[in-house]
Amino acid sequence: MIQPAQFRRLALLGSLLVIAFAGLGYRLVDLQVVRHDDLSREAAGRRESTIIHPSRRGDILDGRGNVLATSLFVKTVCADPSLIGTNQALVARAIAPLLRMNEIELSQKLQLRLYKDRSGKVHVDQYVALKRKVTLDEWERIQATMKNISFGVNEKKLSHRERIFYRNLRQRAIFVEPVDDQLRVYPGGLLAAHVLGFTAAQDKTVEGNVVTDLVGKDGIEAAFNSALDGAVGWRQTENDHGRREMVLFREEDVAPRPGLNVALTLDAGVQDILESELVKGMEKNAPASICGLVIRPKTGAILAMAALPNFSPNQITANTPMANLRNRVISDTFEPGSTFKTVVVSAALNEQVVSLNDVFYCENGLFSFAGHTLHDAGHHFGNLTVEDVIAKSSNIGAAKIGLKLGETRLYKYIRDFGFGDLTGIALPGEVRGTVHPVKNWYKVSIAQIPMGQGLSVTPLQMAMAFGAIANHGRLMRPMLVDHLEDEHKQEVLRYPPQVIRQVISEETARLMVQAMKKVVQTGGTAPKAALEHYTVAGKTGTGQKPPYGSHKYFSSFIGFFPADDPEICVSVFLDEPDPKRYYGGETAGPVFKTIAERAAAYLAIRPDVAPPSEPPPKQPSNQAEAIAETVVSNPLTTAQTGRDF
Amino acid sequence: MARNRKNQSAAVRFGPALKASLICLLIGGSGVGYVWQQNQLLELGRQKVEKEKRLNTLRVQNSQFGRHLAELQSPRSLETRVKELNLGLTMAQPTQVVRLVDALPGPPGAPHWGALSPAALTRDGIQRQTERHYAKRQTTAPPGP
Repeated sequence: MIQPAQFRRLALLGSLLVIAFAGLGYRLVDLQVVRHDDLSREAAGRRESTIIHPSRRGDILDGRGNVLATSLFVKTVCADPSLIGTNQALVARAIAPLLRMNEIELSQKLQLRLYKDRSGKVHVDQYVALKRKVTLDEWERIQATMKNISFGVNEKKLSHRERIFYRNLRQRAIFVEPVDDQLRVYPGGLLAAHVLGFTAAQDKTVEGNVVTDLVGKDGIEAAFNSALDGAVGWRQTENDHGRREMVLFREEDVAPRPGLNVALTLDAGVQDILESELVKGMEKNAPASICGLVIRPKTGAILAMAALPNFSPNQITANTPMANLRNRVISDTFEPGSTFKTVVVSAALNEQVVSLNDVFYCENGLFSFAGHTLHDAGHHFGNLTVEDVIAKSSNIGAAKIGLKLGETRLYKYIRDFGFGDLTGIALPGEVRGTVHPVKNWYKVSIAQIPMGQGLSVTPLQMAMAFGAIANHGRLMRPMLVDHLEDEHKQEVLRYPPQVIRQVISEETARLMVQAMKKVVQTGGTAPKAALEHYTVAGKTGTGQKPPYGSHKYFSSFIGFFPADDPEICVSVFLDEPDPKRYYGGETAGPVFKTIAERAAAYLAIRPDVAPPSEPPPKQPSNQAEAIAETVVSNPLTTAQTGRDF
Repeated sequence: MARNRKNQSAAVRFGPALKASLICLLIGGSGVGYVWQQNQLLELGRQKVEKEKRLNTLRVQNSQFGRHLAELQSPRSLETRVKELNLGLTMAQPTQVVRLVDALPGPPGAPHWGALSPAALTRDGIQRQTERHYAKRQTTAPPGP
């Protein structure tokens, strides 16, 4: 029998057990039911992690596959001041040279800091960003330095806790952000800066993580941002207590999709020729700005496009002048001056209002019309044929041709040549220029517009109009992007040449070429633009900048060669050249000539003019000798170098 | 007579002992195998992470080399290098460029280079011959897809 004392003890024990189990039950319910959501979230937060795989921004390539813009993954180096203790000076001294930072400034950054959270609780700041855009090499050197850093103590004699402190200091105090940043690099430096544009960093949220991404802000970088920008990948996984990933528990693992490469029609060699010659033209003529274009008239492909002053896309800062960032080829407008005479004469020839041999009396240089007096820029021309109106650039002759053509037809051809419209080039910031409708013309407009006043155009519009004349009257859409390709160089999308419209007939274009050839001959306005080995067809332009009489000019020369089967069209525009020497034939013409000569040699364009005194070739006696004699210069040699050394 | 505890044989009964040992071995082996497998998975996972890191590092290095190559191939860099090395390279002048294709096997009986007249073997003559040959070949070529 159970004794009462035993029963009491048993009851007491039972009660204690019940209380204990009740306590455990309460705790269980509290943890598993009441605080389930919070605790499970906290547990997941400690265990699970999402790793972001940044996507690489696509490259920008030139027509030969040379890299014009590329991306590098770079690190953001950070520090945990709580692990550094009082060794800030030592750590700063060791890594400041590697980070290219001031040692004192770095030491201050490594000081321990406290901060309060929203609830007022004080925490030790365990994160400070030391330097962004650190390359992998630099980070490896920092790691090696931290591994071998000496703190002046014999660590073998230290306590276990102190040894762990120094181990953490070496291994964990300096670390990098888990997600790499990207650095946009332009290997050519200033080369094609206005075409390529530049990027800026922008934060975006992916799977709850903030990722710094590059966003194009100008040029091709902006226009093709969606193609260049890839899609980031991510991985959902779990970590052990040491924050090491447990691969076994990987869940989602989505690989990043790199951005597409954009292959341009630009040729780095031609671009460099254009830019270097524009620099020389700038030094010689001291204009406020200078810009140029090299296009293939048959396709509308742009081989080179440049404007000075320019900028380095590798070093864009807030101090970079806005004027330097502007791509003047597409965003500046000007009164074209005499280059526009080609438009009115083309229109008149196409409408068969005039022929090249028709004679116009040029009033000996003074022509009064609608209350205005038109001049022939210091010349006193009498009778001139239409061909000579182009060759000698007679304002009065052009005005009379315009009068004969009539307002409506002149306006139609101006619009047909693409003036007053966007050309459709794949660059942001293009402007239309100004072409007033006929109803808004003044009475004198019909005489002014043929000499290139009373409307404004962009250099690109002007170059494309000349390209149309060179291309048998077909106006092409300017082509800057040839194709898009993936990271394996597989073509994704090709942009074929596009004909916008047939502006003038092939016969008219041929006649225009015939007239424009005389411009660079003796007696024309630009003999300095003539080439030794090629027939050039071109036109000078010297437009006064309003207010007229301010002695500010816009000088230009646009020409193409070989004239009868043009390979390239080169345009040079100088804004406000030295007022002592401002004519297009004097300023832009020679720049055209040097660009054209070098570009022709680089592109190995077949000459159409026989050299004047070539020694007779040795007659080979057999086939082997014939082939051996005709050594073809390797275009790759010049293509790779691209310069006249 | 029924066998009971008192009448059991003194001999050791190996059957149940063997069974018990086998079961223990099986359970123990399964446990050890499971642990070994888990360790292997973790080890392979660690190796995979290391290799992924290595791959990523190589990719980054590759992009750095690509950038370096692009810088070396840029026109400015080439110009500087040519000047440094004093190579004296110049652009080929248009008169130095002679466009000519290799002699192509013509149809039987067609004149070969050696059989051409001296006039045809001048630079212009050879050029005309090759152009004529290509023009003929293009007109006789089957249409493309």
